[in-house]
Amino acid sequence: MKRADYPTALRTVIGELKRLPGIGPRSAERIALWLVQSRDARADAVARAISEVTTQVHPCERCGFFSTEPLCDICADPSRDPSVLCVVEQPTDVLPLERTGGFRGRYHTLGGRISPLDHVGPDDLRIGSLIERTREEKFSEVILALGADVEGEATANYLAEILNAMHVTVTRLAQGLPAGAGLDHADELTIQRALSGRTRIAPHSL
Amino acid sequence: MRFVLRSLKLRHFRCFEAFETEFSDGLNCIVGPNARGKTSVLEAACILLRLQSPRVSKLAPVVQHERQGFVVDGYFGQRHLQFYFSRNRKKLALDEVAQADAHEYLQVGRVVYFSNTDIELVRGSGEVRRRFLDFVAVQRDGLYRNALRAYDRALRSRNLLLKGYPVRWREVAAFEEPLLAAGRLVSEVRARLVAELQPEADAAHRVISGSREELRVEYRAGAGEDFAQALDAARGEDARLRQTTVGPHRDELAFFLNGQSTEYASEGQQRTVVLALKLGAMRLLERHFGRTPLLLLDDVFGELDVARRNALLAVLPSGAQKLVTTTHLDWMASGLEAHRIPLG
Ligand SMILES: Nc1ncnc2c1ncn2[C@@H]1O[C@H](COP(=O)(O)OP(=O)(O)OP(=O)(O)O)[C@@H](O)[C@H]1O
Ligand SMILES: [Mg+2]
Ligand SMILES: [Zn+2]
Repeated sequence: MKRADYPTALRTVIGELKRLPGIGPRSAERIALWLVQSRDARADAVARAISEVTTQVHPCERCGFFSTEPLCDICADPSRDPSVLCVVEQPTDVLPLERTGGFRGRYHTLGGRISPLDHVGPDDLRIGSLIERTREEKFSEVILALGADVEGEATANYLAEILNAMHVTVTRLAQGLPAGAGLDHADELTIQRALSGRTRIAPHSL
Repeated sequence: MRFVLRSLKLRHFRCFEAFETEFSDGLNCIVGPNARGKTSVLEAACILLRLQSPRVSKLAPVVQHERQGFVVDGYFGQRHLQFYFSRNRKKLALDEVAQADAHEYLQVGRVVYFSNTDIELVRGSGEVRRRFLDFVAVQRDGLYRNALRAYDRALRSRNLLLKGYPVRWREVAAFEEPLLAAGRLVSEVRARLVAELQPEADAAHRVISGSREELRVEYRAGAGEDFAQALDAARGEDARLRQTTVGPHRDELAFFLNGQSTEYASEGQQRTVVLALKLGAMRLLERHFGRTPLLLLDDVFGELDVARRNALLAVLPSGAQKLVTTTHLDWMASGLEAHRIPLG
């Protein structure tokens, strides 16, 4: 006698769910069973929402933040201060800064940081478009809000060198962000303090 | 409750599928024929408390062959320590609470490891001496671990960039500021530690050698007087050799007996010097934290004659918890009380 298991379709769903971040085999099974057993239209709604989000949400053409239009809400907002730019590593670093309410300018997301040990170089990041924006949008200040670990520091130094040569004032978040942790792990107060205490990286201070 | 290692449980660790034992708070003798896992038990105690093996710099070889990962689990005083290691995952728990970082975990217990291979401290490469310094320094100052790791990452990044063709100097330069910042901290902590270790090791040396020779320990900074200047001056050399040639990764320790380098000392003198260094480290940690670290002694009694063995036992603080490995116990002075843990 063959030992029975769930039908293939159900096993496929469990398999896919298991691959999602933060979902283990037990939760995958629970979610899948809930989906097939729910008698209302919940399961369909979930399926639709997932398929919509993947087709509609993409990186903003200008800054790389999440958007459904060519330009994200921040880039499209005319009440934003066009003279200040805040550079972050990941799109997920934008909202923690937004929540502090202490920053009124726009953002640029690099999509990572320079990390030779992980085989990530400047060409793998959105640095070219940052240089272009700096030239065209004529910021009076560029704030580097990168991680306080080795790669974050190195990336900030690299960018500061280039931007200083373009005669724009470059500042860094004041120390106080936990070493090794990105912005998305820092609490609001820490970020706020770091924002208000930012320091200038003058040319040749390196 | 005394601050001692009360129990140890292993799984998939070296030759052990599973093993568990308890310890007394004084002298514990792990006894058994060769290759039964005596050294492995001491190594496990060290890894449980310090997350670091005294034998190897990486933990991967500690995992039992054909297994994914190992577990070490034990009680130090009232604290429950648990550590799981596999090649792609590490998990720490303190009193059953998962720990995101090792900082608090590493505050629980401290260790000094004595081994029959300690003579390498005098005869081996600089790497052996830096590892000894760092092993003590991390125990003295938990935050030092961050500086060491940052330095290591910055150094490996810079070296990798120097191997590129052509070398992208702007990227190399970007890693120099974190390299200098972490490197200065590392040099500072090591220099301070050596200054503290010097008198302790000298005092221990006088006691065990019974001589009046003065033991001096000297720290030589691989970064020179000024790391930034040294790095700048070495740039041409670094480019040619495609690696960073100055910095704390080139630090050295030198030992002198009455002003004479221990390179030229007899084997007996060298053994006494390394023993004094370990005892010095023990005193230093003892003074700093107000209690003696756990003493792990692997086969150190093998080389010594009976009189010296008992003399060594006599210099170790009588109240300290000791885990000792040996193939037989006949040498032990009668009347000495020991908890026996037989293997095999
Ligand atoms: N990763 C591993 N997986 C399985 N076995 C291992 C592993 N590493 C080491 N061993 C084996 O474990 C055994 C015990 O080694 P250990 O050094 O602890 O013995 P010992 O009792 O201290 O011996 P000795 O008296 O010779 O010092 C050895 O036979 C060794 O080959
Ligand atoms: Mg052994
Ligand atoms: Zn945008």
